[in-house]
Amino acid sequence: MKSKIISLLFVMSLFQLVSAQKYITKSGHIWFYGETPMEEIEAHNRQVVSSIDCSTGELAFVLLIKSFEFKRALMQEHFNENYLESDKIPKANFKGKIDNVSKVDFKKDGTYPAEVSGDLTIHGVTKHITSKGTIEVKGNKITANSKFMIVPKDYDIKIPSIVENKIAKEMQVTVEMAYAPN
Amino acid sequence: MWKNIRRYIIPGIIFIALVVFFFVKFYVFKESATTVASQKADFVVEAGDLLSTFEKDEKVANDKYLNKIVEVKGLVDNVTDTKDDITVYIKQKGKTSGIMCSFDKKEFKRKGAKSGDEVSVKGICSGYLMDVILNKCAVVR
Repeated sequence: MKSKIISLLFVMSLFQLVSAQKYITKSGHIWFYGETPMEEIEAHNRQVVSSIDCSTGELAFVLLIKSFEFKRALMQEHFNENYLESDKIPKANFKGKIDNVSKVDFKKDGTYPAEVSGDLTIHGVTKHITSKGTIEVKGNKITANSKFMIVPKDYDIKIPSIVENKIAKEMQVTVEMAYAPN
Repeated sequence: MWKNIRRYIIPGIIFIALVVFFFVKFYVFKESATTVASQKADFVVEAGDLLSTFEKDEKVANDKYLNKIVEVKGLVDNVTDTKDDITVYIKQKGKTSGIMCSFDKKEFKRKGAKSGDEVSVKGICSGYLMDVILNKCAVVR
């Protein structure tokens, strides 16, 4: 009986240990910005679901294209209907890992540089990307930040020639996540 | 000749200029709406039913609800206030997923809700991640 309780306690603590290594957020913030002399494009998505596994360094993001908010209604409409075709392809996602996860001490407060690589899927097209960022550990909260550039053309996003010169060829993507233990 | 110009062409030019001005102002530079408060809901459903439709077959649910104004009835699990928006999370007890409703701050101030309330909320359905997501929401009652 006693050994049973002990083994049960052991399994429970193990389970807790495992579950404590995964952090998630449902309200991550990803935004992009691109400018030409004629047009400034900026859109924010504050409903990004993301998880980070502290032991393996696995990192995942998924977001809804329709959750990107633009200041101008017409821009948002074109973005959804013509460029990203969000009715057909409602999501974009990233699956990858922190390559230098061994150098990040999730148990000790501090800011750590992170190198991330993985597959980014936008508009149904998957590309391998790498990016640098930071991971900040504070108590049981983890914040992760990164900035990288993407080229819409790489993801088969067709911009009509009439507006081609108004829209930046490259967009800067900013990722700001605040995770809590799962 | 001069009379004709004064009588027709000048007013014509002014008229066209006005049309262009209003087109640009109210169409090209129209700001995104922040709430669906004044719009009629396309669907009225129970929160649990909306969620199970998405859980069962996301594609079918997307075809039906995406971009539509959906009014859901349910229990508020919690309200999160960030610097940019307010999120009301409608969830049945014991469930791990629910309906995430995002509000513009001004709209929420006009009519809000708190944890434990039975509410009806309408918003534009953006899709399903871990929860069903409604944007530009407004509390109906």
